[in-house]
Amino acid sequence: MATQMTDGHRRFLQVLMSHGIMEGSVARTLHRDCCEIHKVYYAHDKLDDFINVVNIHLQPFFMQIRKGMSEDDGRTYYALVNLAETEITKMASDYTENELELFRKTMDVIIISESGFASSTDILNLADQLKTKKMKKKEAEQVLQNLVQDKWLSERDGEYTLHTRCIMEMEQYILSNYQDLVRKCNICHSLAIQSQVCETCGIGMHLPCAGKYFKAQMEPHCPHCNEFWPHEIPEINRPDSELPSSAPRERRRTPSSGTRRH
Amino acid sequence: MAEDAGSGGDSLQGRGPDSGCRQPLASTSRDGAVPEHQQRRLTGGQGRQRPPETANGEGDGEEEESEEEPGQSSVRTEPDGNHTDRRMLRQQYRQLINRVQQNREDMLSSKSNSLTDALQEANKLFSGVSQAREAALDAQFLVLASNLGKEKANELHSEMTVFDSPAFAEDLLTFMGLNRLEGEENDSDDESIASGFLPNNAWHKLGAEAERYFRRSPSFHYMLGSFKADPPVPRQRIERQKRKVGTEEKRAMPSQLKKMEESHQEATEKEVERILGLLQTYFKEDPNIPISFFDFVIDPTSFARTVENIFHVSFIIRDGFARIKLDQDKLPVIEPSHEEEGRENDQNAQVRNQAVISLSHQDWKDIVETFEITEPMIPPPGVSQENES
Amino acid sequence: MAQKRRSKGPGPSQGELLAAEEDLAPTQSASQAPRSLERLSPAQVDQKVSELVQYLLVKDQKKIPIKRADILKNVIKDYRGIYSEIIKRAGRTLQQVFGLQLVEIDPRNHVYILVSNLPRLAVENLKQDDCTAKLGLLTVILSFLFMKGNAAKESAVWEMLRRLRVDPGVRHEVFGDVKKLVTEEFVRQKYLEYNRVPHTDPPEFEFLWGARAVKETSKMQVLRFIAKIQNKDPRAWSTQYTEAAAEEAAVGGLFEDVSTPGGASQGARRRT
Repeated sequence: MATQMTDGHRRFLQVLMSHGIMEGSVARTLHRDCCEIHKVYYAHDKLDDFINVVNIHLQPFFMQIRKGMSEDDGRTYYALVNLAETEITKMASDYTENELELFRKTMDVIIISESGFASSTDILNLADQLKTKKMKKKEAEQVLQNLVQDKWLSERDGEYTLHTRCIMEMEQYILSNYQDLVRKCNICHSLAIQSQVCETCGIGMHLPCAGKYFKAQMEPHCPHCNEFWPHEIPEINRPDSELPSSAPRERRRTPSSGTRRH
Repeated sequence: MAEDAGSGGDSLQGRGPDSGCRQPLASTSRDGAVPEHQQRRLTGGQGRQRPPETANGEGDGEEEESEEEPGQSSVRTEPDGNHTDRRMLRQQYRQLINRVQQNREDMLSSKSNSLTDALQEANKLFSGVSQAREAALDAQFLVLASNLGKEKANELHSEMTVFDSPAFAEDLLTFMGLNRLEGEENDSDDESIASGFLPNNAWHKLGAEAERYFRRSPSFHYMLGSFKADPPVPRQRIERQKRKVGTEEKRAMPSQLKKMEESHQEATEKEVERILGLLQTYFKEDPNIPISFFDFVIDPTSFARTVENIFHVSFIIRDGFARIKLDQDKLPVIEPSHEEEGRENDQNAQVRNQAVISLSHQDWKDIVETFEITEPMIPPPGVSQENES
Repeated sequence: MAQKRRSKGPGPSQGELLAAEEDLAPTQSASQAPRSLERLSPAQVDQKVSELVQYLLVKDQKKIPIKRADILKNVIKDYRGIYSEIIKRAGRTLQQVFGLQLVEIDPRNHVYILVSNLPRLAVENLKQDDCTAKLGLLTVILSFLFMKGNAAKESAVWEMLRRLRVDPGVRHEVFGDVKKLVTEEFVRQKYLEYNRVPHTDPPEFEFLWGARAVKETSKMQVLRFIAKIQNKDPRAWSTQYTEAAAEEAAVGGLFEDVSTPGGASQGARRRT
């Protein structure tokens, strides 16, 4: 397999750099476009190989294009992530020290909550407890807005959870820093921030994973303890098409039909 | 329009359509600071000739310009012409010059008659000129106007298109999606600024177009690694334990018992947390002096409290938040772990040593005596901590 | 000094890297003496080059030009002796992996920026955020400056912008303090130059294109932008067109490329 990067790869990387995260069908369209523009080999089902070539070259900089799943709708996403914490990465200038502290405290609240959501009130109350430098509520609101815009958090009806981009980049960090405080999905075995939890044995499942798992079952039972599954079974969104989309690039958030526990 | 070109055509100084940085004209008074729409109202319209302010003239310094406050003086030094009128005339000239300078683009615009208007205004003013000083201002204005006129004429005469910034602005607004029908109130009185509703994403749309003409590098953004990762705080660890126990015992235990168990568990956790907090506080107060394990756990007033303290401290040690070691005298000292160490110790739990401490009532008495412990370092729970330490 | 503190639990892809790095860690901080190329293993040099690439990417986030002094202080440290080799190779890597070009915009003070080697295309949508909006504003200013003879008084620029409802005295919905954005941020990023006009009292200022603008775009590109907006042929403005074409003809020399000798021709490749 060719491991040399072409302008097609470089363009793909640049566009992904600009967006940070991309829905699967958008990435496939971009793959096709990049190959066509630069007249390089294209096979519609070879996106992951294509990305792999890029990843080989990104290794020395602790960067990687990762494939992951959205907890909201179960769709595939691609994100360009940073893998390491070094003296250099700490020079990032997107957020100030106290803004980062607010983000981390918000992450605490989200992860500790059973539902995977933190209310804006809870978060804004953190603003005057910051150790680095206190923040006015108004400033904190602006920071939250920026975090949503930059896709580190996502917001729904005044409640915040971690954005897919954030989970994709921070999964290892969250798993090791919050250890058993966080759940892994019983189906896909990756980190689950929003999940349905068995009231008997305590295992959790991503909403889309639960949707898929219970799809064929008349009466849902916990895959672990076999007790009755007491939650509303989430509907599955239309499956990912494996072909590039010509649909609008900005994905609209599909309202999750899953239950959210409080 | 042809009129414009004509009236400006008698320029003496050949000046091409040059850059924005033209030779500054004789410096104007500070009236230039008046917002242009106000000026426009001031000088625009019909009533150009302000009513003479007062009949009596003033004998202020000839060169000092203090138009705003006519000084009262009975001495008349000017033989002819009302002094106030002359001053006003000069002021009007200066305003006119200023306006032409400030609105250069508008003057040059093929769509605008501003230059013609300005010339007509000057003609009116000139009818009042009788002295050299005012005439000099008129000349200054004419030089300015004729230069602009020449520039404008050049633009019109040649085949080429000349950059017309008001027209460019109009086209930009159109591109940005200006809705001219939906009349948002236009808070500017300036008629040259288009009214209409400009959508929120107007500049984003323009920027997206602009992006294509740039070789701007996309930049890389990340969250992981932008801050120093700290180890988890004790609160989290304890909560985790609770949940673990909670879920495991859930099935077997009757609910009431479960509740009791949980509340007991909770009480222990709270106490462990409190004691760890105390330890950290003491340590912070003087990090160089080791804390004697006995001093820390022994309550000289209560054997039972001492046993409880040792019990709770054992959790702190087990979870790696503090460690016990021996000092030079082979006596046990306790110190909180550094933040990073807490985690690592926990991960290597299997290599840690275990020790069983036995403490009889007699031992306790002996220790209190030997170490001359008079006060507990761990006050009983519920005692306000402000009084301690 | 060893600066690898990675997140816990590295993914499988990191295993090898980690090992390679630990080999390096002791040597890295072992000596403060300047190093020469001969004394360093290729792996050590590669490591420095990677660090520099990472540093340049991080510093490019805010689009503020990167000074050599900062590169030396934060990355090169005691590899000073082979500074030029490292920067040359970092430039080459940026090009090979990211399609980016490391450009020295101030050869006297050694100040660098990154620009893309790949022409942007109509079909590709980059993320639209407030930086995009700012670029829109900047492009309007650059257009105005170029069309008005490459410089314009501040008052003339604001007169133009006021028509677009951008007023230096009024807080803008998107740009906030727009006076600050134009006279400070764009200036610091080297998109604009902002100078006092000599012998003016009260002081007057004028704007010119900054060094970054010269590298990221060109007179011809800006003219094309204007032509697109005004729905005209760029040749309609014959004076400016001639000037832009002359610059384009000379552009090979303008884009000095620190990474490869053939960089100039890369830089000269223009969009159509």
